[in-house]
Amino acid sequence: MINKEQLDNILNKVEKPARYIGNEQNIVIKDITEDTVRFAFAFPDVYEVGMSHLGMHILYNLLNSKDDIYCERVFAPWTDMEEEMRKNNIPLYTLESKDPIKDFDFVGFTLQYEMSYTNIINMIELGGIPILSKDRTKLHPFIIAGGPCAYNPEPLVGIIDFFVIGEGEEITLEIIEAYRQWRKNGGDRRDYLEMVAQIEGVYVPEFYSVEYNEDGTIKTFSPIESKYPSKIKKRIIKNLDESFFPDKIIVPYIETVHDRVMLEIFRGCTRGCRFCQAGIIYRPVRERSIGTLLDYARKLIEATGHEEISLSSLSTSDYSQILELVNKLIEEYKDKKIGLSLPSLRLDSFPLEIIEEIQKVRKTGLTFAPEAGTQRLRDVINKGITEEDLIESTEKAFSLGWSTVKLYFMIGLPTETLEDVMGIKNLAYKVKDIFFRMPKEQRKGNLNITVSTSCFVPKPFTPFQWYPQDSIETFNEKISLLKSSIRDNKITYNHHDSRLSYLEAVLARGDRRLSNVLIKAWEKGCKFDGWADKFRFEKWLEAFEEAGIDPSFYANRERSYDEVLPWDFIDVGVSKKYLINENEKAKKGELTKDCRKGCTGCGINKSFLGGVC
Amino acid sequence: MKIRAKFTKLKDLKYISHLDLMRVFQRAFRRANIPVKYSEGFNPHPQFSLATALALGVTSDGEYMDVDLEEYMSPEDFKERLNSVLPNGIKILKAVSLEDKNSIVSLVRWSTYIIGFKVQNEMTLAEIAEEVEKFLSSDELILIKEKKKGNKITVKENNVRDRIKELFPLSYQNDIIVLKTTLRTGSQGNLRPEELVELLEKYTSITIIRDSLKIHRLELFIEKGGVISLPI
Repeated sequence: MINKEQLDNILNKVEKPARYIGNEQNIVIKDITEDTVRFAFAFPDVYEVGMSHLGMHILYNLLNSKDDIYCERVFAPWTDMEEEMRKNNIPLYTLESKDPIKDFDFVGFTLQYEMSYTNIINMIELGGIPILSKDRTKLHPFIIAGGPCAYNPEPLVGIIDFFVIGEGEEITLEIIEAYRQWRKNGGDRRDYLEMVAQIEGVYVPEFYSVEYNEDGTIKTFSPIESKYPSKIKKRIIKNLDESFFPDKIIVPYIETVHDRVMLEIFRGCTRGCRFCQAGIIYRPVRERSIGTLLDYARKLIEATGHEEISLSSLSTSDYSQILELVNKLIEEYKDKKIGLSLPSLRLDSFPLEIIEEIQKVRKTGLTFAPEAGTQRLRDVINKGITEEDLIESTEKAFSLGWSTVKLYFMIGLPTETLEDVMGIKNLAYKVKDIFFRMPKEQRKGNLNITVSTSCFVPKPFTPFQWYPQDSIETFNEKISLLKSSIRDNKITYNHHDSRLSYLEAVLARGDRRLSNVLIKAWEKGCKFDGWADKFRFEKWLEAFEEAGIDPSFYANRERSYDEVLPWDFIDVGVSKKYLINENEKAKKGELTKDCRKGCTGCGINKSFLGGVC
Repeated sequence: MKIRAKFTKLKDLKYISHLDLMRVFQRAFRRANIPVKYSEGFNPHPQFSLATALALGVTSDGEYMDVDLEEYMSPEDFKERLNSVLPNGIKILKAVSLEDKNSIVSLVRWSTYIIGFKVQNEMTLAEIAEEVEKFLSSDELILIKEKKKGNKITVKENNVRDRIKELFPLSYQNDIIVLKTTLRTGSQGNLRPEELVELLEKYTSITIIRDSLKIHRLELFIEKGGVISLPI
């Protein structure tokens, strides 16, 4: 255990010390014996962000439901705490036992967004563990990683010992079982890596080699020996309704991003928006039943005392019995003053009356995500939402008394023209007109429209994975155009930092040569890159320069269909042929239907289900 | 019905803020099935209040709250049910049912603290007692407070001598000096223990090592018609 008295002294000096104390309601405290396998679940961002992540709560409680596994949590300390820890030689520790992470058997990072990668390096080093895989010995834990960004693990090769691809519930237990075996038999690190390389869904990068063409593209990517699988198949939980879900979750002391009971209603999405990575990698759609969900809601409210339940999924209104579920939850919790929140709701397919019922307590704003400003471009990205849908929904919302509306868009989508960009402005103005078209006595509240644009980042395993990202200059021109044309005191315009989106694009579709850049950027002090006040773009550019790598090669280059992509060795179940076909349809502005309305042939049912979705 | 309860805030829980503590109780009420009354209106919230805020890092054996309940519950039951769900560090010590319409927030007048710290220059207990006596004998102890109003910083000077009821050294052991003090608390004048430390640094030759400072609240007092008493 780290020195508690020393910790106490530094906690008095840092902002939000409760980030670092643990001891929350429903924390798991266990005796550690010789048989215990110790797993540090590491979230590479601050406590408030990490604690809002449902996946962590699931794995934490799943692993801890086994007697001889102890899963503990560790988050990235904020810069003030890191400084104090370094000054006082306190290594990075877990919140449960307060033991340094270097004493663990595993440190498992979850990769939720690319801009957290420098924090991973920082946490490993702050834990007193060598940052490079090759420098670790039997005395060190295995550093592993999973989560959505693990679908292109290559930029972290050399830092992470091995990756788990896909959903973690089963595979994590298999890895730990293999570890137990290995520990009993005795052997070196390599022996264990040999063992896990045989587990479906595990990727051990050092068993694969890459050769490059002269133009910098990949020539070959192959296992160094034929005993290693040439394709890594993602793992999924076949029956979600019977899979593990926690009946208690840790209740944080400080306010977190999402501080509430999260009910995961289903995984996967059938909509097929062409920019969306989650929509492909989490296929197929699998639902939990209403009975199961109500049961978990009851247990979780009892165990936490939370005042809000939120339904979690990629597209809430697509849950097959959403109205019944929502009505039952309202009925059960209305009198108990427990609120319900429905994020990721498509308002074109959900009765506003129900939202009104939910928001009886407090009317929050409504959020719409048309993603693109014109119908043409919305067809290109297969966002099956029409202008009529949006107008109808807003008309109704205004008549029911809403007056705060948020509109989300992306700029830099494939084939976008300046006309499409101006379409964003036009749509916002139309929404404003709808409000003022209502007779004055019917208008309630003060109209407040927020338009937000993010910069499109092409992601692996999407139909747009071959597409060049707009340059920073082009993004900025489009942003200036919107800034100068949206001039209305009822409409606020927000936009993302294009430089951050550029780096995200580099890392999202990067290869293993980038790990060197990550380390250099970290050495220059980059961390918490996703936090505007910590982001230092010029340091990143220096890092690229020193590593002799051109970031635009990754962000702004169009790939051909026959190029070997760094993530091609991963099998997500959706065929490359399907993605190519979708990209071709996008160019023609052709729509692909929601696959709940009939199979669109993505391939997931052949490779993963052996039947229908 | 109304319940007034006394509780502790110890160990790691000293690192959670006043607002965090409110949330801890709201959730504990729900877990313990305490029938807390909710306010009417658009954003109903539970009818309960904490006597006074503690600064981050300060521990306490004497915190108080008032809670309005929807239906009758024996104070003993209230205490036991809540204690079975509260985190390690917060414990209900005592609970009574009350008729008093006045909320604890408006009644609080005095707090007693234990303050411990190390000093830079070595002093004997007698020397410290002498310094403290000199400190208390002055009529004017000026506390300087900076207030930010927009871009403007205004400096306010207040004589706070009458907000110190008592102050005396208890012990001097292992380099640590321990003082006991009772200070004005509440809406009708307030002196925080951190501010007292500031004044000691300003008006005496005691040089406090800030990193070593530890503060603990022992008890809160209310005052009615000039009579000082415990809240319950």
